[in-house]
Amino acid sequence: MLLEAKDGEETVVLKAAAASVQVQVEPVGRWFEAYVRRRNRNVSASFQELEEEEESSQESEDEEFQLEEHPMLRTLDPKDWKNQDHYAVLGLPHLRYKATQKQIKAAHKAIVLKHHPDKRKAAGEQIVEGDNDYFTCITKAIETLSDPTKRRAFDSVDPTFDNSVPSKGEGKENFFEVFSPVFARNARWSSKKHVPKLGTMESSFEEVDNFYSFWYNFDSWREFSYLDEEEKEKAECRDERRWIEKQNRASRAQRKKEEMNRIRTLVDTAYSCDPRIKKFKDEERARKEFEKKAKAEAKKKEQEEKERARQAELEAARLAKEKEEEEAKQAAQQAKKEKDIQKKAIKKERQKLRTTCKNWNYFAENETDSVKMMEEVEKLCDRLELTSLQSLNEVLASGSKQDCKAAVEKQVEEVNAQMQKEREAEFQARQAARSAEQASGGGGGGGKGWNEEDLQLLIKAVNLFPAGTNARWEVIANYMNLHSTSGIKRTAKDVINKAKNLQRLDPLQKDEINRKAFEKFKKEHSCVPPSIDNAAPSERFDASGSESNAAPWTTEEQKLLEQALKTYPVSTPERWEKIAAAVPGRSKKDCMKRYKELVEMVKAKKAAQEQVAGRKK
Amino acid sequence: MAAIGIHFGYTCACVAIYKDGRAEVVANDAGDRVTPAVVGYRDTEQIVGIAAKQGRVRNAANTVVKVKQVLGKRFDDPEAQAHKKETKCQVVNREGKPFYEITFGEPPVYMAPEDVAKLIFIKMKETAQSALGSDVYDTVITVPFEFAYPQKQALRQAAEAAGFHVLRMIHEPAAALLAYNIGQECSYGKSHVLVYKLGGTSLSVTLLQINGGISRVLSTCTDHSIGGENFTQALAQHLASEFQRTYKHDVSSNARAMLKLMNSADMAKHTLSSLGSANCFVDSLHDGIDFECNVSRARFELLCSSLFNKSIQPVKSLLDEAGLSAGVIDKVVLCGGSARIPRLQHLIREMFPEVELLSSAPPDEIIALGAAIEAGLLVGRDSIKSEEESFTVDVSAVDILLKEIDESGAETFTVLLPSGTPLPARRHHLLCGEGKLSTLCLEIYQRFVAEQPENLGKIIFRDLQSKEENHNIDAVLTMKRDGCVHISCVEQTHGKSEAIIIPAAS
Repeated sequence: MLLEAKDGEETVVLKAAAASVQVQVEPVGRWFEAYVRRRNRNVSASFQELEEEEESSQESEDEEFQLEEHPMLRTLDPKDWKNQDHYAVLGLPHLRYKATQKQIKAAHKAIVLKHHPDKRKAAGEQIVEGDNDYFTCITKAIETLSDPTKRRAFDSVDPTFDNSVPSKGEGKENFFEVFSPVFARNARWSSKKHVPKLGTMESSFEEVDNFYSFWYNFDSWREFSYLDEEEKEKAECRDERRWIEKQNRASRAQRKKEEMNRIRTLVDTAYSCDPRIKKFKDEERARKEFEKKAKAEAKKKEQEEKERARQAELEAARLAKEKEEEEAKQAAQQAKKEKDIQKKAIKKERQKLRTTCKNWNYFAENETDSVKMMEEVEKLCDRLELTSLQSLNEVLASGSKQDCKAAVEKQVEEVNAQMQKEREAEFQARQAARSAEQASGGGGGGGKGWNEEDLQLLIKAVNLFPAGTNARWEVIANYMNLHSTSGIKRTAKDVINKAKNLQRLDPLQKDEINRKAFEKFKKEHSCVPPSIDNAAPSERFDASGSESNAAPWTTEEQKLLEQALKTYPVSTPERWEKIAAAVPGRSKKDCMKRYKELVEMVKAKKAAQEQVAGRKK
Repeated sequence: MAAIGIHFGYTCACVAIYKDGRAEVVANDAGDRVTPAVVGYRDTEQIVGIAAKQGRVRNAANTVVKVKQVLGKRFDDPEAQAHKKETKCQVVNREGKPFYEITFGEPPVYMAPEDVAKLIFIKMKETAQSALGSDVYDTVITVPFEFAYPQKQALRQAAEAAGFHVLRMIHEPAAALLAYNIGQECSYGKSHVLVYKLGGTSLSVTLLQINGGISRVLSTCTDHSIGGENFTQALAQHLASEFQRTYKHDVSSNARAMLKLMNSADMAKHTLSSLGSANCFVDSLHDGIDFECNVSRARFELLCSSLFNKSIQPVKSLLDEAGLSAGVIDKVVLCGGSARIPRLQHLIREMFPEVELLSSAPPDEIIALGAAIEAGLLVGRDSIKSEEESFTVDVSAVDILLKEIDESGAETFTVLLPSGTPLPARRHHLLCGEGKLSTLCLEIYQRFVAEQPENLGKIIFRDLQSKEENHNIDAVLTMKRDGCVHISCVEQTHGKSEAIIIPAAS
């Protein structure tokens, strides 16, 4: 309950209210959202309401002021309602598809007030009875326009709409003047709002691209149900209705297709005529060209750079080499000079020694002694170094004859002693080598005693029994034992070791061994006449026996040899000359040697294999 | 347009969708409405949720739990260090930020906490998409009140990396209010709500004031040393001692056995929230011995009695801190999975005997529900772009009062506009005066909290006609953003009007 006011009290403000404070709040909930929205708009709730009211009042004003009476309204034929312009009938020909629902309603209201039959009757007009009065047209108009579906159908076939598409010829010149209104006109069919404008010559690439992509993907709401020839409502039975529906659908689809084609043609034409597209393309091409050029240039530059670097490198290398050569040359010259000097000096000393000795008549009394002494002196000259010669000469120059003689003799003695020593050392070395050889020879299968013959034999054996032969190393060892002249018994192990060693030897050494063997062979067999029995037919020489020995008998040559051996039997006079002639590149001696080898090989092989086979049993 | 709300907790995550004007929680592919926020890394795949949690027994070193604890933290942050000590997955320092070292295969992979959170968000997204049947981007994510800016930022990054568009990040207690539709029906009135959240690893108690439909936090208190896991731990310890008593084996040093016991204790704890006793059964706990044990609810409550006390204590201290008595609280909202424990609910009810205890919805889901409701509000709107700054509004600092007399003739004060009302505000009151009086006086006062009211002004009506019925006076009170007050009154029978403007003190 409120208080009672006392006398003398008045409405009064006594004190200021406390100021508001700011606090942090939780950003949740719808009241918070509402609060933030209000604050962001910075208006109070009541002001917002007011704004909305104002807007609506403005709309209604428009409607009242801009109604245009249809001049032919009274003469319209209600039966032909489908072909009438509904907007014109309602007095909105200037607004058409832009008219709001509110405006349409208001216009209808206004026109009904004026043209309703009852009104006109009251005004004393003659009224046609039934549906034939033109008022039916007004009813049809509002029926069509108030229903969004029907209105859309009517809008789609708006008779005032210009469906034309400008031709290419028109568009080439003043493109913007021609196409701008066309696109603006057609934009009304877009389902999406905010249709991009054609723009101007200055539009950016993005804008133009956006424009064309929009129009190429144009989504139109235009549909052609208004033009249906048959009315579904008129059908009498379901079947008929279905048939009509089918017909309508087909014709609508056809029209829709045409419409899409029209838009497509429009956009295509515009695209082909658009000077901006051409400009962009040119720019693009120019840019690409430029890039290409820049790339090529860069590449060329790089290559040049490389070339230059390479040249510089070569030049540097060449200079360095030249310098080196120069230095080497100088060093060589220097060395030569020094050598020459030394040589000269030594020559001079020698001469000196000789002349001194000669002066002293070789310290001898008789001829023989002098000759002997001369020899000794010559020996001295040969053997003594430069320094010792010099010292000797000095002694000779300063001393008396006796002293000189003593000095020379001492030198001679020394030289002789040295020579003796050397000779002894040499002898000893030879002795040692011989004894070592003997020791290795008598090593008893210890793997050391391999003389050249044995080695030769081993190589032969290894080649004779190629890898893969049954019990190869045993066979080889056996072969060795059979054919060796040294009489040392060798085991398979020794043989393997030696063969391995040989393999490890460099080919030069191998060649040497072969050569030595060959020389020996030559020595041994040079006197042996070619007395070959014809026991071994050539067919029995299998290819394996003659395969790549160090002696370069090729298969080809081998074959020729065999052929020749067959062609010229033993009885043939001068058989080996003929055989050698048949094998090109081989002398008579070669052929004979080869033949001998082959025979030996075959024999040895047989023997060795037999022996191994025998042992195995 | 669909939108979802996600509650990303320390131990669990929950997702709710907003669809057809309703928010509801979505069950994940395992059929659970709450997904454990556990990510397990295997050599070929990464698993999220219950499978990862159970797989932790075998793959503890490559299973990330409680990633939220290090999210957006520096490596040397004490909380990150504590997390490093506690977790079994290796945490290493990389450029001052903590990274998980995943040692499946060579070389080890380093995972940022954001990456781990991203996987959980992806899982939530999949869950929501399976329920909606369509892709979803817009989401509202809840964060604890104490989350600092870098932590929020890290969470936002993780969500955006998972393909979300974060509409807004809201505080968990505010989301809980929203889920119960507190303060959303009308835009006036003032109330106080206590949100009690006992989650997996933390307890947070928040006192909110709702005024004019907008809520603000008065005071809050977070304790990271108590949570649902402590209850599980206590129960697991009990089970371990039982095992030792029966079989004479000490399993407390066996990490895998302890993990198994923890899982079993967790299950038992959940059962005990609804049943009087629960059976724990662990296959091959230690040395191939199967373990079975029955725990009654009374036993559980005895084991955890000290923990319960610890959980309740912060409520009292919070009220003391805010200077409010328990009677001021209008509603208490329970959330967090551990708020299901009957003993805890009982204790809270004892503390607030006359207050409505809101626990009708599953407490571990309501935060996600609130987030989804908020997402539904926000989606499709032009969101305010002040995400980073705090939201501040102008509110009235004082209660605006009217002096009246009650039936007995004593003077009383009626609140016309409570303090804390967001401004600008307008309140409409219908005031009555006795019919026989010919004059009426409206004395306007303001009052700061717990102070004597100050007289601001008065409005006098004179020459009223005496009549049988009461005089009715329409009073419209408007307070602008700066705090100045307009009061206009109209006497209804005669249409007499009076108005005053009380300016705001500068």
